[in-house]
Amino acid sequence: MIGSWELAFIVLSAIIVTIYGIVVGLFLLGVDRKLAAHMQARVGPPIRQPFIDFRKLLIKENVIPENAIPWIFNLAPVMSLASSIVILLYLPIGSIYPPLGAYGDLILVMYLLTIPALCMVAGGFASGSPYASVGAQREMVTMIAYEFPLAIVVVAVAWRLAAAGIQDPFTLGSIAAYPLWSVAGPLGIIGGLLLLLVMAAVTPAELSRIPFDTQEAETELAGGLLVEYSGKNLAMFYLSQGVKTLVMAAIAVAVFIPWNLSSIVTLPEGVALVADLLFFLGKVILVMFFSVSLVRVAMARFQINRVVSVFWMYLGLIGLVGLLLLMADAALPAAGVLA
Amino acid sequence: MSSLPMIPELLRQLMRKPATNLFPAKYLPPSVTEFLQSVASGKAHLTPPVETPPRFRGKIEYQRDGCIGCGLCVKVCPSHAIELLPETKRIRIWVDQCIFCSQCTDICPKGGLHMTDAFLLATEDRYEENLIVE
Amino acid sequence: MSEGSGRKAPYIIPIGPTHPALKEPVMFTFEMEGEMIKEVDFAPGQAHRGIEWMGMRRNPVQIVHLTDRICGICGVSHTFAFARAVEQIAEIEVPERADYIRALIAEFERIQSHLLWAGVAAHELGFDSLLHLTWRVREQSMDVIENLTGNRVNYGIIQVGGVRRDIVPEQHQVIEDCLNAYEGVISKLLELFLDDRSIALRCRDVGVLSHREALELCTVGPTARASGVNVDLRQDYPYSAYGDLDVRTILPDQYAGETRGDVYDRIVVRLLEVGQSCGIIRQCLDAMPAGEVTAEPKIAKLLAICKKASGEAIGRVEAPRGECFHYVRMEAQEAPHSWKVKASSYSNLMSWIPMLRGEQIADIPIIVASIDPCLSCTDRVAVIRGQRRDILSKEELHRLSVEATRRLQV
Ligand code: SF4
Ligand code: SF4
Repeated sequence: MIGSWELAFIVLSAIIVTIYGIVVGLFLLGVDRKLAAHMQARVGPPIRQPFIDFRKLLIKENVIPENAIPWIFNLAPVMSLASSIVILLYLPIGSIYPPLGAYGDLILVMYLLTIPALCMVAGGFASGSPYASVGAQREMVTMIAYEFPLAIVVVAVAWRLAAAGIQDPFTLGSIAAYPLWSVAGPLGIIGGLLLLLVMAAVTPAELSRIPFDTQEAETELAGGLLVEYSGKNLAMFYLSQGVKTLVMAAIAVAVFIPWNLSSIVTLPEGVALVADLLFFLGKVILVMFFSVSLVRVAMARFQINRVVSVFWMYLGLIGLVGLLLLMADAALPAAGVLA
Repeated sequence: MSSLPMIPELLRQLMRKPATNLFPAKYLPPSVTEFLQSVASGKAHLTPPVETPPRFRGKIEYQRDGCIGCGLCVKVCPSHAIELLPETKRIRIWVDQCIFCSQCTDICPKGGLHMTDAFLLATEDRYEENLIVE
Repeated sequence: MSEGSGRKAPYIIPIGPTHPALKEPVMFTFEMEGEMIKEVDFAPGQAHRGIEWMGMRRNPVQIVHLTDRICGICGVSHTFAFARAVEQIAEIEVPERADYIRALIAEFERIQSHLLWAGVAAHELGFDSLLHLTWRVREQSMDVIENLTGNRVNYGIIQVGGVRRDIVPEQHQVIEDCLNAYEGVISKLLELFLDDRSIALRCRDVGVLSHREALELCTVGPTARASGVNVDLRQDYPYSAYGDLDVRTILPDQYAGETRGDVYDRIVVRLLEVGQSCGIIRQCLDAMPAGEVTAEPKIAKLLAICKKASGEAIGRVEAPRGECFHYVRMEAQEAPHSWKVKASSYSNLMSWIPMLRGEQIADIPIIVASIDPCLSCTDRVAVIRGQRRDILSKEELHRLSVEATRRLQV
């Protein structure tokens, strides 16, 4: 049972994580915009631009459309933000063990990931605009589409760790403590790389970024899901977009590149913590660059039926091959030696 | 990457300098007026705009002395930007209406009208002194 | 798995007159079935500027500056067509050098217009990097145009009787540099647009306009050519310097080996035409004779000539979007008696209907953009006096035009 001390600790860390999530999330959005701009030969806005945007949204009028369902319409953005922050509580930050790490594992995180998306769907349907409803339908389809490859990634990694005799393979703690790469043989590493690819493709879909941004599609649906949102509500969605970016990158980091600086080089206690945090931030930016910034500037938007076929057929297949490779790797521990 | 030929292009660009000319400054200053004041007092640096080409058609210039008040420029001005003042037999050009076609400069028998390089004419008051040439 | 299977009841999606996908005002009404377009209707006429009305109150020397502003992109085509109409009425012989300069500027305009379009198309697909890249490339032609004419957008280079500025020897180098740069970059652009899988996925077999439909709907310009219709005024009705230049219609099968009439083919045609225009400009530079650039350098005299002229004429020019058509009637007065502009988009708008039917919502922006619509040039006011409102059927129109021809023959 949770003692009062522990409860206090959780509440305190929740507050810290909320602030951390929002600040780092917005910072990531700024970095993303800057990187994208430079790739397009532009200067782009300053990195603090998302903070400015957020402040501006807060002072804007919060319009609720006439034929919206107000309570869902207003609740959706807050829920979306809250649920994205909750996920952060389960994810390791640098070398810091996640505050709720003991109470949930990767499967839970996977479930929690659907909540912000569901909130957006609810908000979209509640807006009472045809654009938003089309966007909401598309969001649902996209969700169903990417859930499958994402599940493959999670299951495959955990299964491989379990096969290596590691306790609680689904907890992020163990996944981070025993990186897949050190457990698996050469076959497994190839499989792991394939899974990494799948994860990298799921990330932009989860974050509704090009090429999977059909639900918002500026030139088609004029913002889709978010078309009726303004002011404070939009600001909440904006924050949750930032937090979600951090979440997705942090999951990829935790599962695929969990190393910490302090475990590689020995550093004094206080310095190690800061160094690890910075190192973690670097990894997050790296993941974001390859799976969000670069992809979103290098491709055209898919049609919604293409999104589905990409995820179910191509990425599903790649994921399954990755899974099979990991299984083969576990079954033939000597394969690497033989080859 | 042959099916996504843009990726190498983008990565290469990431290492290069952006193509934007940073006029007037890298980021939009919170207040343009204040920025211009600090440029004037030498505290800030203003990146100049891209140079205009030779024979650019900018704000019009009028040499009042040579003018004979023939009114030909009024006749050809497509946007009715020129007004002939009967009492002085001179013209007045409302630059806010001018479309910078340079037709009046072509027809003026005295060569008293010219186009200059000035193009930063945006303002909130269309009857500002700067926008009336006489 | 698409949503089409989930939701069957048709619903209506309005798009426009203002919508991020539309760069120009037009109002679409889509009847949707899931993500599929079942029926589509559109209502142009959202932008009225009264340009013809203004023109009928000005003299031809003034009107050329008005025609410059009919379209922000085809800054020279409208003026070119108008000037040609007036020159025919007033029987002004345009010097040969002026013809070449006009053609040269018109080709630069085609280059910048097609590149602009390519960028917009990329943006509609959600591919903004390509937008930024093509517009950066486009900037070079804008710089040359600015150098030649004195302005980036409203060139003001054509005047009735010729052109207002000569191309001096120093400017040859500027043009040459730009052409060299373009000839180097064209293959890169073709690769970036046409070899990209994500673009091909969105454009191949999307918004198909069959050869037959293209003919029946009287489409013009790249929209028609992409469907395999061999029309190009520069080839079929060589005006100005084009009679001396080698211009062959660009058809998509020259690149892909086949013509499908889809959005992809429209990209092919436009990008190839950029290369073609570079070639034409080179020809112009080589063949340009020395001499005057205008039939009447004294504007006051020109005004007098125009004032005496009477008669009617049409001027036709192959604008970047297709045939641009000006009808002018002058009756020995300062201002023309009537002036009618038919922008190229006017002929192309109807092709939206067959292109859009049966496609997805996601394809609306790119299909709408694919004909490179220019609605501000197209929209007209129709003033109806009294309560009369006639709708003429094709048969009646045919009968009326036969009668009109008879009257002329008498
Ligand atoms: S430049 Fe053109 S618009 Fe301006 S005053 Fe002269 S004739 Fe009129
Ligand atoms: S045309 Fe020249 S001389 Fe005649 S009124 Fe105008 S400025 Fe004066």
